[in-house]
Amino acid sequence: MKAVKTKLVVTALAACLSLAACGGSSSAQDSPSATATGGSASQASSPDPATGGSSQVTKVSANTASEAEIAGALGAAGVPNPERWAREVVEYRPYAADDPDLTSLRQNLAKYNPGEETVNKIVSALTP
Amino acid sequence: MSAGFLTLRRGLIGVSALGVLGTAFELATEQHWKNWEQLVPWAALAVLVVAGVLLALSDSPKTVRVVRALALAVLVAAVFGVYAHVAANYDAGPLDQGYATTWETLPGALRWWYALTKSVGPAPSLAPGALAQTALVLLFASLARDRERTG
Repeated sequence: MKAVKTKLVVTALAACLSLAACGGSSSAQDSPSATATGGSASQASSPDPATGGSSQVTKVSANTASEAEIAGALGAAGVPNPERWAREVVEYRPYAADDPDLTSLRQNLAKYNPGEETVNKIVSALTP
Repeated sequence: MSAGFLTLRRGLIGVSALGVLGTAFELATEQHWKNWEQLVPWAALAVLVVAGVLLALSDSPKTVRVVRALALAVLVAAVFGVYAHVAANYDAGPLDQGYATTWETLPGALRWWYALTKSVGPAPSLAPGALAQTALVLLFASLARDRERTG
């Protein structure tokens, strides 16, 4: 009888430990810090036609991200000369928070005659 | 000072004041204050205002010398502005979809020509010349006094 009780206790302990381990990995996956790389970056999970339907585009804030962060995001989005374009993005701040399509940025970038595809790629990597 | 020269000088100072106001309006509509280079014309305008007021209030030799020095400084700033605009256009060459792949292969003189003529880039190359023109008008206003003294 005592052996049976000991077996039950050991089994219960093992079950608790395995549950805790699963719970730990699950909470790590759900943690906000696992998906956000900082206050100015976020992940867009929907395919974006501007980037040829790539699975994920890292978006950074056109208003608050540093020039280097913007250049990184533009480079990841396939924009040529990302450092140079990042400079322009910073120069034409601020951008209206209620304009996710960054209309004013589009208008300012158009002065450089970059082509619609490049502008779409730039905007696809940015949020206001 | 004779009435004719006084009228001429006041008229030239008035023209320079119009130049300052017009240039300030253009700079403001372009939001020309994004970096330190874009603040240079604002400083030049402030210098022109000081020079114009000095010349309107006094025609002493010392004042005239100061006004001429200030006008020359604005002329230098205007030349720098033309260079800055052309250089900005040159820098923007690779961003133009028409030259993105060929810009580096073009001869240097042709690239600078495209930058000067705004074939690439958004900056109006000779716009800073408005500052030079206003400074020259002030310079001529200061000469009006000398002509009266020597004539």
